[in-house]
Amino acid sequence: MSTVSLKHVYASMLLALLFQLIPWEGLALELQPDFMLLAVIYWLLRAPHLCHIGTAWFAGLLIDLATGGLFGQHALAYALTAFLAVSYQRRLALFNIWQQTAYVFFLLLLTQSTVMVLKLFGGDDFPGWDYYLHSFSSILLWLVVIFSPIGVEAPPHKS
Amino acid sequence: MPRALEPQQTPAFFVRGPSPLARLVFFSALSLALIATDSRLHYLTEVRQGFIALLHPLQLVANAPFNLYHASTEYLTGHNTLLETNRELSEQALHDGAKLQRLNELEVENEHLRSLLGASQIIAQPARLGEILHMGRDPFSQKMVINLGTRQNIRPGQAVVDGDGVIGQVTRAYPFSSEVTLITDKELSIPIQIERNGLRAIAFGAGVDNVLDLPYLPVNVDIQIGDRLITSGIDGVYPVGLAVAEVTNIERNPDSPFAQITSKPIAGIKNHRQVLLIGIPEIESALGTVINKTDGKTKTGKPTENSSPVTPTPTGSASQNVNRQP
Repeated sequence: MSTVSLKHVYASMLLALLFQLIPWEGLALELQPDFMLLAVIYWLLRAPHLCHIGTAWFAGLLIDLATGGLFGQHALAYALTAFLAVSYQRRLALFNIWQQTAYVFFLLLLTQSTVMVLKLFGGDDFPGWDYYLHSFSSILLWLVVIFSPIGVEAPPHKS
Repeated sequence: MPRALEPQQTPAFFVRGPSPLARLVFFSALSLALIATDSRLHYLTEVRQGFIALLHPLQLVANAPFNLYHASTEYLTGHNTLLETNRELSEQALHDGAKLQRLNELEVENEHLRSLLGASQIIAQPARLGEILHMGRDPFSQKMVINLGTRQNIRPGQAVVDGDGVIGQVTRAYPFSSEVTLITDKELSIPIQIERNGLRAIAFGAGVDNVLDLPYLPVNVDIQIGDRLITSGIDGVYPVGLAVAEVTNIERNPDSPFAQITSKPIAGIKNHRQVLLIGIPEIESALGTVINKTDGKTKTGKPTENSSPVTPTPTGSASQNVNRQP
């Protein structure tokens, strides 16, 4: 009884990439949610048979391309996050919405921290604490998605 | 209360494919290998160019609504605004025209003097107009992407300026776009000269918005707040005399042998969407011939087409000094 197909996953990831490519500027750039990561986490938790660590890794690679950073930095961070998401996925389904949100927020912070550590190893400077604003805006977007019809409504049931 | 992730898949009883841990280890190793290859070995330049070219249509789609918005606001500009800008611009043109007339005369005179001295001619650097596609998305670096690429003969190393001053340098050229590193980036340095007294130095980006550092100048250096820094032109990349920054703060600490000088870039990259890309000048004759006059035109200096952040070659100034001595 598969309600979500691979098409949905890739279409949503393409859409996330498109949002990521919008020419953000100034404050909007600082507050830009990580659309791609949210899409990946959503599918990892909801449809782990379609979206696994490899998908997350590839999504990270796309983000590396889009930001112009070194190949593999976001990919590694996304893969690590995907691993944590997948390993707690079954338990998470029993949690209520706020516990799930807290866990997702932890995943977002972890991804950003991993990317930062990798960048610092690469010789970049610490960008300041407002770097973590991305996680806050991302979790707000997550809540919006979860409480909106997209998040909860099951696709038409076919049997 | 809605339950998140409601349509839950029945959990698979048996593990499908490799375990998550195995996948994690595999993909981590892969990304570490990629990081190492990309940062040290530079094998992936073509791969990156290819992928960016593939992403280009997506980028255009993402930019479309904003371009439409800009176009429509431009189209709907009021009659009065247009008249006003028109008046302002013609006034500006009048002022500039007067200056330009003097400049033409000076250029001819300068050329004449240079030919008398036997110095090589300064070659005019062609410029192209580019448009900013988007600012860099990486909070760790100061970059932006413009809409000209290798298809339009843009090469890494070209200087990028706007109407007020220097913005930065092209560091990566893709087929349809190229990446410009701003002068405020930590990895970019630019040879400058203080306009007031001609003191030469190198300005480094501070990695923060709107700050340039001038390290390695002694405590007793002759520099004041408000001094304008202009390009010295000895690197062969930036033309001489473009405004770069204005000194905003000087800290002379007796404990340190160097003064801490910070300055603010003059060019307003956030203000407009068009920039000028200046071609890399062919300076072989400009540097080489003067020192070995006996060799005549046979010896050519090395062309300084470095794609890496600018390394200044002091040969230019040396040759000028040699030249001045009888």
